[in-house]
Amino acid sequence: MNTRPNTRNLKLLLLASLALIASLALVACGGGGGISEGTDNSDVTTAEGGSATSGNLNISNWPLYIDGKTIDQFDAATGLKTTYTEDVNDNNEFFGKVQPLLSQGESGGRDIMVVTDWMAEKMYNLGYVQKLDKSKLKTVDANMIPSLRNPQFDPEREYSVPWQSGMTGLVVRKDLAPDVKSVNDLFDPKYKGKVTMLSEMRDTVPLVMAADGIDPKEATTEDWMNAIDKLKTNVDNGQIRRFTGNDFVQDLAKGDVVAAIGWSGDAVQAQADNENITYVQPEQGCSIWSDNMLIPVGAPNPDGAYAFMNYVYEPKNQAQITEYVNYVSPVSGVKEILEKEDPSIANNDLIFPSEEFTANCFAQVSPPGDEADVKQVEQAFQDVITG
Amino acid sequence: MRTLRQRLLPYGLLAPGLIWLVLFFVIPMYFMGELSLKTGSLESGYQLTWAWSNFTDGISDYSTQFGRAFYYAGVATILSLLIGYPLAYAIAFKGGRWKNLMLFAVVAPFFTTYLIRTIAWKTILDDSSPAVSVLKTLHIVPQDGRVLATSAAVIAGLTYNFLPFMVLPLYAALERLDQRLIEASKDLYASATQTFIRITLPMTMPGIIAGVLLTFIPASGDYVNATFLGGTSQAMIGNVIQSKYLVVNDYPEAAALSFTLLIIILIALLAYIKFAGSEALMGDEEEAV
Repeated sequence: MNTRPNTRNLKLLLLASLALIASLALVACGGGGGISEGTDNSDVTTAEGGSATSGNLNISNWPLYIDGKTIDQFDAATGLKTTYTEDVNDNNEFFGKVQPLLSQGESGGRDIMVVTDWMAEKMYNLGYVQKLDKSKLKTVDANMIPSLRNPQFDPEREYSVPWQSGMTGLVVRKDLAPDVKSVNDLFDPKYKGKVTMLSEMRDTVPLVMAADGIDPKEATTEDWMNAIDKLKTNVDNGQIRRFTGNDFVQDLAKGDVVAAIGWSGDAVQAQADNENITYVQPEQGCSIWSDNMLIPVGAPNPDGAYAFMNYVYEPKNQAQITEYVNYVSPVSGVKEILEKEDPSIANNDLIFPSEEFTANCFAQVSPPGDEADVKQVEQAFQDVITG
Repeated sequence: MRTLRQRLLPYGLLAPGLIWLVLFFVIPMYFMGELSLKTGSLESGYQLTWAWSNFTDGISDYSTQFGRAFYYAGVATILSLLIGYPLAYAIAFKGGRWKNLMLFAVVAPFFTTYLIRTIAWKTILDDSSPAVSVLKTLHIVPQDGRVLATSAAVIAGLTYNFLPFMVLPLYAALERLDQRLIEASKDLYASATQTFIRITLPMTMPGIIAGVLLTFIPASGDYVNATFLGGTSQAMIGNVIQSKYLVVNDYPEAAALSFTLLIIILIALLAYIKFAGSEALMGDEEEAV
C-alpha cells in the first residue's frame, strides 16, 4: 500500500526536520539581537518639548502599580492620550529589553519608564536617561516628601521622580511562625522548607548581611559573597523552599510557607485577604527603596511626561493610587486626605511609616566595586537561585 | 520529457517555506553562533574573541542542570508513553461514537494557556491539598513531606503538559492500524499479548517514536515547570539559560549554553533513531504492507 519512491531522501528530510524540532527546545533561549556600544553621560540632555501639552503619552510601569481610574482621569483632565503598559517585571529583564534601543538614543516610544533606584542610576550613568527640567515640575517639587528628596544615587533629583517607595522586610504567618523577628530566624531548622526569599538580589542579600551584623552600606564584595554562601548552604539543606517575586504572598496565604523575605505593599494587600499574614520589621532593620519615573533618551513627548508627573503628585490624585497599591507614597498631604476617606490606610505604618518604625532601616544597596565585581556577585547569586 | 515549468514547480512550492526558514532560522542561528563566541558586556558591547571557553565553562559549571533537564524530560517522556499508549488505544479501538469527543478532551487543555495550566498545578499539589493528603495517607509522601517544590512536582507538570503531544501521534498510528492483521493474528492462535507485542506494537512504532521526540525535546528545554513547580534544587538548563540571558545579561554564555543543549539533543536523537530504526519511522517499502 505504501509505495514511497525515495526512502533516502525522506530520511534526509526527516533528519532536517528533527534538527528543526530540536531547535524548538531552544525557544526559551531567545536570540542575540542588535547589541551595540554603550554611551557615556558626559553630555546628558535635558528633556525639553514645546510649550503645549498634547498628543500621545507612553508609560512603562510594573504590574498592579496603579489603580484603574487614574489614567482615564488624567487623559480627561489634560487631553492627552495615554498608553500605560505594564511591561516592567524585573529591572534586569527590562534593561535587557530596552538597552539596544536606548543605546541608539531611542526609547521605543516610551516617555516615562519606572525602575528601581539602582537601575535608575545605572541607566543614567550609561546616558540612557534625560535630565529633568525642574521649572516644569512645580507640583512635584512642592509635594515630594522630605525623606525622598536627596537620595544617594541622585542627590538633587536631577533625573528621577519617585513613583512609589517601599520596604523589604519579613512577611510572616503570625499563626504559624509567631516568633520570627529577625532574618536569622528564617534559618531556624523548625521552619525547614517553609521559608522563601526574594529573587531580587538587592532585596535579599543586604538583609541577610544586616542580620549578621554587617552594615550593608559598608559591605565589601567578600561580605556579599559570604552572605550568598550562607544562602547556598540553606538551599542545599532544603531550608529555603524557593526564591520568588510577588508570588510569595500566595505561598503564605496557603500556609505552604510560614515566613518570607518580602515587600511591604504586597504584605498590606495580602493582609486584607488573610489577617494572619503580617509584615514584621526585621530586628536589624529593613531595606528601603523607591521605583522612579525616568524620561528616557529619545522620549517623544517630554511635556506630556512632565504633566503626568505633576498630576500624580497632586495629593488627591496620589491618594487614589495609594489606596490601591498600598506602598509608601512619595507625596505629602496624602495622609491627611486618607484620614478622612480611609483611616485604616492612613494609620498603617507600612504605608505611612513613622520615623521610629524605620529607625534601623537602610537605603537599598548594590554590591560595591566596578562592573566586573558586581557581575561576579550577581552571577554567584543566580547560581544559588538556579541550584 | 518534462517541461521547464514542471521542473521548476517543486522549487516554487518549496520557496515560501525555505525563505521563511532562512530568514527566521538559519540567519538567527548564525548570529547566535557568533554571539556564543564573543566576550564583553551588554553595556560596553561584545567582541568576537573566539571564546570557546564559553562552551567549556558552560558545560562544566552547569552539568548538574543539564543532567537534571534530561533526567526530568526522560522520566516525563516514559510516563507520558505509559499513560498515553493505553489512552490512545482506548480512543482508537473502543472510542466508538465518542471518539471525536475523547480526542477533543485530549486537546481541550490547549485552549488555556500553558502558563495558567502549569500554575494551576500549584494549587493541585500545595501542601494542604486533598491530593497531597491522599498521598500522605497512603505513605507515598512522608507525613512531614511535601510534593510542591520537589522533583516529583516538576516531572508531574512536564508529563501533564506534554501528554497530548504523545497521545496524538500514537492515536494517528493506532487508527491507521489494519484491523485485518489483528484478525489474522488471532486466526493463527496468537494470544492477545502475542498479538500486541508482535503486531500492534511494531506497527505503531512510528507513532511511538514521533511521540517520544515531540515530548522529550521540548520538555528538556522547558523552564516553566521548574520555575513554578520546582524549588531551589530543581532548576533545569532552561532556567539557567533564562537567568543568564534576562537577569545577568550574559548573552554569549546564554548562547553557548543554548547551542550545547541543541548539540546534545541532536546527538541523542541520532543515536535514538539508529537504535529505534528509522525504517519504523519512515515505514520502509519492504516492511510496508
